[in-house]
Amino acid sequence: MSYLELKNVSKFYSGVVAVQDFNLEIDKGSLVSFLGPSGCGKTTTLRMIAGFGRLDEGTILLDGEDITDVPPNRRDIGMVFQAYALFPNMTVQGNIGFGLLMKKTPKKEIKKKVDHVLELVRLQDTAKRFPHQLSGGQQQRIALARALAVQPRVLLLDEPLSALDAEVRVVLRGEIRRIQSELAITTVYVTHDQEEALSISDKVVVMNKGVIEQVGIPEEIYRAPKTHFVATFIGTANQFLGKVSGTNTVMCNHFHLLVDDLKGFNEGQRAVVLVRPETIQVQPDPPERKGWNIIPGEVETITFHGAVTRLGVNIYGQRVAADITVAHTKSISLNQKIWLLFSPDACQVMAVDEK
Amino acid sequence: MKQPQKPVRETDTKIRPTGWQILCIALFLFYMLLPILSTYVFSVATRWDRTILPEGYTLEFYIRAFQTSYFTITLRNSLILSVATIVVSLIVIVPTVYWVHTRLTGLKPWLDVLMILPFGIPTVVLALALVQVYNFPPIARSPILLIGAVVVYSMPFMYRPVSNALQAIDALTLTEAGQILGANVFQVLSKIIIPNILPGILSGSLLVFSTVFAEYTLTSLIVGASFKTFPLLLVEYTRINGNIAAAFSVVSFTIAWLFSILLLWAGSKGQNASAETIQAR
Repeated sequence: MSYLELKNVSKFYSGVVAVQDFNLEIDKGSLVSFLGPSGCGKTTTLRMIAGFGRLDEGTILLDGEDITDVPPNRRDIGMVFQAYALFPNMTVQGNIGFGLLMKKTPKKEIKKKVDHVLELVRLQDTAKRFPHQLSGGQQQRIALARALAVQPRVLLLDEPLSALDAEVRVVLRGEIRRIQSELAITTVYVTHDQEEALSISDKVVVMNKGVIEQVGIPEEIYRAPKTHFVATFIGTANQFLGKVSGTNTVMCNHFHLLVDDLKGFNEGQRAVVLVRPETIQVQPDPPERKGWNIIPGEVETITFHGAVTRLGVNIYGQRVAADITVAHTKSISLNQKIWLLFSPDACQVMAVDEK
Repeated sequence: MKQPQKPVRETDTKIRPTGWQILCIALFLFYMLLPILSTYVFSVATRWDRTILPEGYTLEFYIRAFQTSYFTITLRNSLILSVATIVVSLIVIVPTVYWVHTRLTGLKPWLDVLMILPFGIPTVVLALALVQVYNFPPIARSPILLIGAVVVYSMPFMYRPVSNALQAIDALTLTEAGQILGANVFQVLSKIIIPNILPGILSGSLLVFSTVFAEYTLTSLIVGASFKTFPLLLVEYTRINGNIAAAFSVVSFTIAWLFSILLLWAGSKGQNASAETIQAR
């Protein structure tokens, strides 16, 4: 059941496209992320949902009601800003109670609700403090509590973690997800951090240059990217340029690659084959595996990443990344001649953007 | 400004100023305080033209100053003028600067330039031009015209501190945070923006008050004797009796100081938090 719906939404800044023909349905109680590089229109879209910045085209429906022209203070939407935006002149209590005060809630009830959301973000003992007496992470929790206190119909989060330390970021994103599912509140989350988006979302909307590239659950976005942009933006992918030949081969300059499926491609069409580093196996001796891709190469770099070690392998002048496990690392050294091995179904074929 | 949370000094070692620093500060204080001190002393001196220190001391000039027929009226007029100017300035400046900071950021450089203009136009020219343009009743030569003129004349003093205070807070994001929580424009201004720029508003008001309370040229040329202010009385007495004029100056200083303290006290009482805010920044 779609609860928040954006229909043909477009926005231009002095003639330049910021968002174009944006169509999306968001289910009640789900967390949807807008993911993309800076300037892709994700924040602009979020701000239009909040009511900041008019739409040049399209409509926004919330629970069946057209809110396109409703001012932000009457939308019943909660928002958390990147820069926290707590009111410096008010205590934590005052900040959280502000929205309720605007709704003319009785004092007793405000107190009860403030206590409740403070408990939710686990900062009960900060009620009397001022924002500047709190750490960045605490401030953002209070900002979240403030947005939740009014029980909004939708919660919007605009890169809420990008001003925080890496460690706090990971903890807080887990907290956001926990609270979101506990309250079953419909949430839109804007981020440029793919790990963040993939780890907490029900659905990810990947955006680029003002348009939606792909909408899907996180696994889908990672395993089955629909466009070249999504494949390269999410995770690391090796790219091999070539021409389609037959039903399951892409001819590259020095070798050919066996792939699973070439439906929709024409003979001789230029295509790019994407292979994720973790799907590539590395062997010191020439392997024998029928129907797999086997390419010889030379180890140029070895980078320790913790759980895995990433090799930079030179194959016919092209640098390819391959991940190996730590146990495997001992048998590999620099400048060693090795063989890369990967199955056809690890290959994702994309049409080349002819731009 | 009251500072509720003084940072605790971590080391006990006191920083000793060097000889040069002491000399510079002493020269500065000497330069600033000597005229004021002399005025104070002169207002209670019997005769002070043959010796380094006065020959005797008396309160006679204060008694004569307080007995002057125009004393209370001019004082009242000056207060009316100063307070009215502050009120009009606040009403005109605060919303304008807020709008320019949040919605019309492109206009900010223009406003900055515009706010230098009052310094560029000689006061005499401003006064005579206003008198000629607004030469119809009931505005002609009225206190209302004077207030209008003084507002323009003192505008930069209000504009700068308010603009700087708005710059220091992220006015646009705070506004949006307020709006999304259900506040309308007036609630955003009165509950969020103004409390957070209060220190700027206070220092602007203080500057305007001290400027306007001592304003002579505009008052003299626009209203003259029909709305006599304290500086007019003071200047008049410099020609009659220097000691009484000195006594008037002391009264004027004292009122300006009292007013400053009152404003700061009111500000810090109403908004402890806001002082903390500014400190935190």
